[in-house]
Amino acid sequence: MVRIASPLRSYTSGASSVTVDGATLHEILANLDRRFPGIRFRMVDEQDCIRPHMRVFVNTSEAKRLSEPVRAGDTVHVICALSGG
Amino acid sequence: MTLSPAERTRYQRHLVLEEIGLAGQEKLKAARVLVIGAGGLGSPAALYLAASGIGTLGIVDDDRVELSNLQRQVLFDTGHISRLKTQAARERLESLNPQISVVAHAVELRAANACALLGGYDLIVDGTDRLSTRYLINDACVILAKPLVAAAIHRFEGQAMSYVPGRGPCYRCLFPEAPDAVVPNCAQAGVLGVLPGVLGAIQATEAIKLILGVGEPLVGRFLTYDALEMRFHEFPFERRRDCAVCGDRPTITAPRDSQEPRSAAALDGVRRLTATGLRTLLDQHPRTHPLVLVDVREPREFVTGHLEGAINIPVAMLQQRLEEIAPQASPVFICRSGSRSLAACAIALRAGIAAPAHLEGGLLAWASEVDPTLAVAGAG
Repeated sequence: MVRIASPLRSYTSGASSVTVDGATLHEILANLDRRFPGIRFRMVDEQDCIRPHMRVFVNTSEAKRLSEPVRAGDTVHVICALSGG
Repeated sequence: MTLSPAERTRYQRHLVLEEIGLAGQEKLKAARVLVIGAGGLGSPAALYLAASGIGTLGIVDDDRVELSNLQRQVLFDTGHISRLKTQAARERLESLNPQISVVAHAVELRAANACALLGGYDLIVDGTDRLSTRYLINDACVILAKPLVAAAIHRFEGQAMSYVPGRGPCYRCLFPEAPDAVVPNCAQAGVLGVLPGVLGAIQATEAIKLILGVGEPLVGRFLTYDALEMRFHEFPFERRRDCAVCGDRPTITAPRDSQEPRSAAALDGVRRLTATGLRTLLDQHPRTHPLVLVDVREPREFVTGHLEGAINIPVAMLQQRLEEIAPQASPVFICRSGSRSLAACAIALRAGIAAPAHLEGGLLAWASEVDPTLAVAGAG
């Protein structure tokens, strides 16, 4: 399951979490983008680096690379710097 | 600082808590806390800090109260509309607790005044609604070695963290740089009125704990709250040795103003074309028309399939290659789904290109609405 940061929910029709297959973060994000075109680019730049205002956690461990494995039952959390106050 | 009989009565419920007691309440009375931003977060934070007996409470805000603030900014009431927020806040907070001193700073926080403002306080509460100010506050707190309690909100989601000098990571350790993309604010994205109430109350709680030195602060823990699902999550993070401000070799050694990320309002000059709208435009204008189609995807995506006549400049290269777009041309930026093309429009606007356009929904929309034979490469 992938939990989507609030500013990216416009891509997922408002869904706060979606179920996506994949054995690595790279596969998860590729499959996520197939379902919600454009969402991956908001999280990852052209060099496959997670953008500096976003963080991805697998359960409670920060994923620094897209090659990191994701197991069945894991929750991928996409968090992002919010500006509102 | 000793408490008067009236204060002992006022704070009686604190005095019976062994974690606070008389000594703790005297610490709160001696404390100087600066709340930056008298908005959704600053309102509840300031109200609870004042009620709790923080001796000196500074409020920074240069705005005036508007009717649309009252859905969430509980410091104010209808009679305050058009008044300076700092003045209205001081009246409300001193009415709530005449035993404290409220200092109104009706200024915009900038690099030039950050050290002077923050330097007069023991602890900072960040309730600003701008990312650039959020980074400025974080940097100033690290440089001045001031504890900081930060929070932010968006629609139904909030987040909070605390920074304590020498004890853990700062905001930049988690998010090293502000996004260089569209960041909607509360006015554009909307926000649940009670959401900043939850986060602002968390900030007041953290500030009081840090002053008292009790409990476990949100240091090295990033707290997120989803109001719709009524769920909190917590993510551990560490100090980055390469952090630009609190790292081993900091590159930010004085507060600095940074450019505000482009807000959705800043993109008002962008023309948004639907796929059928672009088709009509192309049909109406012969090739001599200065309309230029700029495909901002990666070259490998471009070769899979693109619109006839389009040139390819990946968005990451656009700034350096803007001269390839003729000065008199009207660029239409195109990508796979409409995200990179919007970023390209913002770059073009910043470079002085008037009324850049982008294809909403990108080539996926084009393939769906205009030409199903167009092959659109995957982005992954």
